Amino acid sequence: MHEERHAETEADQVLLVQRAISRDADAFGRLYDMYVNRVYRHIYYRVGNIADAEDLTQQVFLKAWQAIDRYKKTASPFLAWLMTISHNLVVDFYRTKKAKTYLEAEVTADEPTSSLERVAEARFEQQRLRRAILQLRSDQQQVILLRFVEGYQYAEIASLLGKSEGAIRVILHRALVALRRMLEKEER
Amino acid sequence: MLKKIEDILAQCIEDIKAGRSSVEDCLDKYPSMRKRLEPLLRIALEIREPPDIKPSPAFKVRARVQLMEQIHAKKAVTKWPWFRYTNQVKPIPYKRRFNMVAIIVAVVLAVSALGGGTAYASQGSLPGDVLYPVKLGTEQARLVVATSDTAKAELYLTFANSRVQEMTALAERGRPEKVNIAVNGYDGAIGMAIGKMEEAKGKGLAIADTSELVAEATSKHLPALDEVYDRVPDEAKPAIERARDVSINGMGNALRALARENPGRAAEINLAAVEVRLNRAKAKADEDNTEGVEDAIDDTEKLFRFGEEISEIAQGLGKDTTTVEELVARATSIHLEVLAEVYEKVPEQAKPAIERAMASSVRGHERAVEALKGKGALGNIPEEPPVPEGIPESVKERLSKVKPGARKP
Repeated sequence: MHEERHAETEADQVLLVQRAISRDADAFGRLYDMYVNRVYRHIYYRVGNIADAEDLTQQVFLKAWQAIDRYKKTASPFLAWLMTISHNLVVDFYRTKKAKTYLEAEVTADEPTSSLERVAEARFEQQRLRRAILQLRSDQQQVILLRFVEGYQYAEIASLLGKSEGAIRVILHRALVALRRMLEKEER
Repeated sequence: MLKKIEDILAQCIEDIKAGRSSVEDCLDKYPSMRKRLEPLLRIALEIREPPDIKPSPAFKVRARVQLMEQIHAKKAVTKWPWFRYTNQVKPIPYKRRFNMVAIIVAVVLAVSALGGGTAYASQGSLPGDVLYPVKLGTEQARLVVATSDTAKAELYLTFANSRVQEMTALAERGRPEKVNIAVNGYDGAIGMAIGKMEEAKGKGLAIADTSELVAEATSKHLPALDEVYDRVPDEAKPAIERARDVSINGMGNALRALARENPGRAAEINLAAVEVRLNRAKAKADEDNTEGVEDAIDDTEKLFRFGEEISEIAQGLGKDTTTVEELVARATSIHLEVLAEVYEKVPEQAKPAIERAMASSVRGHERAVEALKGKGALGNIPEEPPVPEGIPESVKERLSKVKPGARKP
């Protein structure tokens, strides 16, 4: 509960990023405090287990510190930049491990609701979708996760991936078509 | 011009998500595309944010300490701490960088030449004061002469104490706008104290004394931070909340380390901290401050989990945990009494949180009793958890079903 509440305004965040770019470790530490939950959640969604999510989350922040000079050149929010680093690390992780078994891992948490059956059903549907999303092409996966799971706007995703908004819409359409095919195939 | 399906799809998703139209509205608007659009829209709207998954507080602290160490290890020269606060001085160019020790010695000599009184006078300074950088500088000088990791950890703890005193003084003097500086310093000092403690452990050194000091200090910081929290205006409260998180997470790390060497002492410190949090919950309930109650109960739950971890760590190492179990079992009645009082006073929406805390306390009691019975050491400790009379029957019934093994994830 407390972890989510931070004092920083948007202007403070911009200042922290500027200080981090000029190699201020304390400012970077504050950025870590602000974003570690989001980065961890994003990675956990994709790898489905605590040990790898923790390991990759640590790597994201270390890579971000090492590459922070390059952040200056992008116009996307800092968190979105962290998400791209996360994406690349997860892609490398799967490439190295060929860890298809992780697709079976469940992403769960306590969900307050009266109907256990409904929860089980919703969870099952979300797991099916998650498995399908993780089988999409890398760029399609990234667009789907950034738009629907992380809530970024098309313009932000476009800036982050260095593409036009139109191109992002095309990727999104193709991703949804691919998901539809996968889910229909599974139902047959 | 005819719109492409990609654009229509993206627009429909935006409109539906923003509540400007429904799926049917969109499909009606583009009847020729209905067949292609509908399944894609349904899938898109099914994709939701994952459940609220958070990393463990222990991981967050550990990863932060490691990150900072890696950062500092990779930097040729660390910036001086007061530079970080003022953010006005650029790092020294590489050619002009000196050895850290030489700089510190130079600073100490310079301060001595100007008069030791300056350094002395700076000790009472606060963030924002002219002499505050001198105060931080003398702290750095003290670190240079500390030879071992444990000595450094203890020094960082002293600095953390100073930061808490500064927060109190800033609140008292009506300067809450500078509290964030002291909180950042506190955060860094606790992180470094834990980091140094873990480095010493990594070298195979005994850290019982240091971990006890860290656990005791952080447990004392909590009520001090509560007082600051109550005094500062709303805009400064989130910074103090962050300091409280740092404190409680630091305490958890220190207690885990202490549990490896002296689990009884770890349990004592933890239970004392539980009582302080419960008293805070009671005080906030008296003030009709539901949010304050919820925060204190939230902390209590964390401490209950630390208690379980202390037992598990000690048992895993084959330590005698009888003292731990006796302490936990005897503390249950006090915990449940306070929780029952709070339960009566809070509004309906806060009651489930109190009930969860009661269940954690009962679970701790059950586990302790089970272990003591196994050793034939139950003595006069009641087998049944002492659930107070004032609690509603329905709650009592639910509590009676709590099993010792059913630990919350």
